[in-house]
Amino acid sequence: MSSGSRAPAEQLRVFADYRGPVREEADVAVVGSGPCGAVAARELATRGLRVVLLEEGPPLSARDIVLDGALSMTRTMREAGLRATRGTVMPTMQAIVLGGGSFVNSAICVRAPDFVLDGWCEVAELSATSRKDLDPHYDAVAALSGVAPTPDEVQGRRNLLFRDGCRALGIPSEPIERNVRGCRGSGECFTGCRSRAKQSADLTWIPDAMRHGARVLTSVQIQELLHERGRVVGVAGRVAEPFTGRLSHPVSVRARAVVLAAGVMATPVLLQRSGNLANRSGQVGENLQFHPGVAATGIYPEPTDPWFGATQGYQSLHFVRDGFKLETLWAPPGVMSVRTPGFGHELKRRLAEIRRSATFDAIASCHRSLGRVRARRRGLDPAITWRLHPDDVDILMRALHVLCRLHFAAGAEKVLPGVHGAPDELFREEEAEIFVRRRFGPGDLVTAGNHVFGTTRMHGDPRRGVVDEHGRCHDVENLFILDTGIFPRSPGVNPMLTGMALARRGAHALADQLGGRSAPEA
Amino acid sequence: MAPSGVVLLALALALVGAALALRGFAYPRPRPPGPGGGPWRHLGRMEVAFVEAAADTLFPPGGEIPPSGSEAGVAAFLDRYLDAVPAGVRRLMRLLLVLVEHGTLLFPAPGWNGFRRFSALSEAQRVAALDGWRRSRLFPRRLVFTSLRALLAMGYLADPRVLRALDLAPRDIEPVVTEVDLLYPPVGAGREAIPWTEADLDRGGHRPPLGPDTPLHPDYRDPTPAAGGGRA
Repeated sequence: MSSGSRAPAEQLRVFADYRGPVREEADVAVVGSGPCGAVAARELATRGLRVVLLEEGPPLSARDIVLDGALSMTRTMREAGLRATRGTVMPTMQAIVLGGGSFVNSAICVRAPDFVLDGWCEVAELSATSRKDLDPHYDAVAALSGVAPTPDEVQGRRNLLFRDGCRALGIPSEPIERNVRGCRGSGECFTGCRSRAKQSADLTWIPDAMRHGARVLTSVQIQELLHERGRVVGVAGRVAEPFTGRLSHPVSVRARAVVLAAGVMATPVLLQRSGNLANRSGQVGENLQFHPGVAATGIYPEPTDPWFGATQGYQSLHFVRDGFKLETLWAPPGVMSVRTPGFGHELKRRLAEIRRSATFDAIASCHRSLGRVRARRRGLDPAITWRLHPDDVDILMRALHVLCRLHFAAGAEKVLPGVHGAPDELFREEEAEIFVRRRFGPGDLVTAGNHVFGTTRMHGDPRRGVVDEHGRCHDVENLFILDTGIFPRSPGVNPMLTGMALARRGAHALADQLGGRSAPEA
Repeated sequence: MAPSGVVLLALALALVGAALALRGFAYPRPRPPGPGGGPWRHLGRMEVAFVEAAADTLFPPGGEIPPSGSEAGVAAFLDRYLDAVPAGVRRLMRLLLVLVEHGTLLFPAPGWNGFRRFSALSEAQRVAALDGWRRSRLFPRRLVFTSLRALLAMGYLADPRVLRALDLAPRDIEPVVTEVDLLYPPVGAGREAIPWTEADLDRGGHRPPLGPDTPLHPDYRDPTPAAGGGRA
């Protein structure tokens, strides 16, 4: 996506650059440099607006990438990667690094299906958020991000086993479209791409925003929005030391408008900490939804060399209408081992089988499982409460049943489902029937949820939502929210591309509002 | 509460405190956490003793992956890990270790002496104690086991010998210098620390996919002279 010239280095500030208080002025302050914030910053900059992009984490050079999964998470994830919900206890991770989630995700780019977006329009009284409305924005962000199907040469055996299982059962599947260029199949997406193949926002959108004049301030924790007479006038915070989070010099950015793209957890906390701003509807921090996931590991007769291949290379959208999406999965060994049952020599034997394993997972649209995000008395880490609804547990168990069937259809000797109350190992497909015959509870599952939505949801009715469908706050016209918190409910599939498309649309709506120059030709 | 009740409660607390203190005095001084011999930064002698005992119960010596949990340096890993997590999380993790070490007071292991601290139990008792946490009908107990096992497994699977034995050690990937590598300095450093110049920039061209024969990352290679790269 490079426009040819180099991004000017003087427009980037890193921790070592701060010697005292920082004061900036801009047309727009964008808080959060994840894929949504980065797209917004770049689009606003292309419209000739003076943009300051603020990120609490540092940029990570290729040499800063830590190979060990656990230690990597302590550097790239908020709360060291150990954040969890209350109510139903579930880990959830949010990134703290330039590029946000795009630095540590597996680059999956999927457009939300028509029926999902039609559903959004219906439940949230929206008039311009159909697939047809969003497709031009999907096209633009996909083109600039290098989105393409994962080629067979980097699928690796474990991804192709998923394909084989789907074929055997007559379930449609396809290579996952990802924002990568030149992937070598290292399977290291979650710790950061050493090959620099993943086109995360720090490699693409942010340098391009800088080329168009945006300034990027990293290691800055924004703590409140400045507002006067019903309008935001800027943001304020402090310099934050990378990894330790120690705060130092004050930072303020005066701006004609503010874009919040700090993520589903941090954006509502910032609003709550800013005098409960933009919350006449009472919906800020409410309606929290996740895509809880379940996984099943199949053990195969032959080595699968699971460390090799795209981290997540194959998927099936066949069951999205039923509430779940199927995909392949690989993660650092320490993380994968969490689901390996037993201990002692039994555990060691099972760990030794990882070299013959493939893991398939499912993410579920759990519309009935809701929660909320609240600011704590101190700090910006949120208090997250969420409960997995029993009916949604049934969806997850059905998904798990399908995953087990896929493994056996692909030739697995046995399957490790990782569910309390079920056998540690299943040896025949019929044994997986337990997941649809018996009722399991939320506490029986080992689940995680890193796709998050809804805490600043869009709604056509200002009494029932925080922003309109362009991301503009109903209560504060020069405050936009452009992260996946504005989704009125689950998108049914991985949310990054939809978040980026909505951010692009919202950024242009804001540019129009501020009198930015005409949008350049795509 | 009646005065006699207060006295009884105080006596009971004093007894429990004394019992815990006595249990705590019996810990040996641990070996330094690394070959450099530096001090333990977070784990005390009780915690080191517990982590090594629990790690060896989860990962006993021998079998398909030779190193045991303590041989793989799980306690030293955990000490480093605690250094990297926020203080609040660190307190919770240390509490987790204390909880399982002394959890035998509430959930004793089999045998007349099953009330002893976890690290003082026999191997068979430790297995039974951990299995009690793992299979409990109480979700919070299972959560404690899952959390403990996850922590120790992360440490075990950070050891290069273990990863080589599993054929999961990271591979050597030659650095690709892109535009942003001329823009982003190493964390904490200024721009003058950027090691690359324009001349180092990647000129494109096809790089083949990695595969089983790709050499291991230097940090994960077997230091013994006879060993080669690639598969362990």
